[in-house]
Amino acid sequence: MIDVLTEYWPEFRSGFWVTCRLVAFSFVVAIAVGTLVAAFRIAPNKWLQRLGGLYVEVFRNIPLLVLLFISFAGLRRAGVDIGPWTAGIASLGLYTAAYVAEALRSGVFSVGKGQIEASLSLGFGYPETLRRIVLPQAFRTVIPPLASLTIAMIKNSAIIGVSLLALPDILKQARVVSARTFETDASFFWAAVGYLILTGAATVIFKILEKRFAIVR
Amino acid sequence: MNYLFSPDNWEWLWTGNNFRFILEGFLINLEIAFVSIIFALIVGLGLALLRLSTIKPVSWVAGAWVDIFRNLPLIFLILYFALGLPSSWKKAWEDAVPTWAPEAFQSGLVLGAFLGLILYNSAVLAEIMRAGILSLPKGQGEAASALGMTRVQALRYVILPQGLRRMVPATVSQLITLNKDTTLVSIIAITEVMRRGRIVTSSGFFQEVTAPILQVFIFIGLLFVIVNYSLSRLSRRLEIRERKITGTKLKRVGGLEDQVAIDPT
Repeated sequence: MIDVLTEYWPEFRSGFWVTCRLVAFSFVVAIAVGTLVAAFRIAPNKWLQRLGGLYVEVFRNIPLLVLLFISFAGLRRAGVDIGPWTAGIASLGLYTAAYVAEALRSGVFSVGKGQIEASLSLGFGYPETLRRIVLPQAFRTVIPPLASLTIAMIKNSAIIGVSLLALPDILKQARVVSARTFETDASFFWAAVGYLILTGAATVIFKILEKRFAIVR
Repeated sequence: MNYLFSPDNWEWLWTGNNFRFILEGFLINLEIAFVSIIFALIVGLGLALLRLSTIKPVSWVAGAWVDIFRNLPLIFLILYFALGLPSSWKKAWEDAVPTWAPEAFQSGLVLGAFLGLILYNSAVLAEIMRAGILSLPKGQGEAASALGMTRVQALRYVILPQGLRRMVPATVSQLITLNKDTTLVSIIAITEVMRRGRIVTSSGFFQEVTAPILQVFIFIGLLFVIVNYSLSRLSRRLEIRERKITGTKLKRVGGLEDQVAIDPT
């Protein structure tokens, strides 16, 4: 079992880093877009709210695999020159952004209306209230759901490797190794270890964050 | 934009029986989801009870099992079972599956898909159910044993009916995730909606009308959005009703994708 790992170490290592990069970039996209959509959903304008709601309902209910097909094969056929990395990161990021937006929104509502009203009456503008009063507190309460989303994102990143994008991530490399050695069990076992390391690390990191930013009441 | 909405690019939908072909594929996805959720609920309940067992080694093993399968990518499990299962198992499945079952279920590869879907979702559902049971006040179990109920009786008549009811909304939102995840079985060559979408787009099916990939998959995505949106509405309604009856906030289950439907504010 161990000899498969030592012999094909470069494959497993590069696959591990590809998954890490995919997740890291998608995380940035998800947080950025998710924050924007959440801001739309709580904006005082009804049409912005509807737009945000539409985004969330569409991207939350569509399978990631369909998104990957649309963003890669579909756009390429339509004449848009999009690479597998861009398509993969955009799909995973935009897909997760819908969940991030919902998590942030429920975090914002946990802040309490009184604080927002107080801030507005102190003369802060709406964007400033959001940035200085609401979001810092909301981010604290959304750490646990963000942890769940990050773990789900690590798991979902495996879909990118097996879909037609064929980015060489952990799962793709495990398939390459298993095709070359015929040791399906061993190569998939090491891939599982890779994924469990990533999900385990995410769990630990978010636990530490949660402790650090916990509100002392 | 012009490309997206140009009627020429949507003509494929009304040509031949493309529309029916895709819709039938989508039905296969729903069937796979339905069968998987039934078995995953049964196995998940078993795992949750084992994890709550008072015998330490049993609960430890069940806990490790649940945590491992919950933290692995579903597509990884499906691929592994599709590639790694001995062919005699697949053969046995092909012989065992009843003839009235849908056509897509007849292939031996479906066994791998089902094993992956059920193992993953039963682990997730076990965690959901455990959270539901643990969210009950301790007094419930104590009162049951004070009334002279055995542990099994207490579970059967007091704990499970209350604990599981609380987790119905979370289970429905897991069903949404499962519904989306059924598209993953296309990777192991089961002709459900994704495969059928690719068949429609590939040249030579209806030569005179080309079906652009973008439009075909937007249509398929729309089917999922419609069904899953209705399910999420249902989940939210159940959640509100449950909140009114029990007046409690549900416990959060870590690692789930759809946290929001579980914990809306």
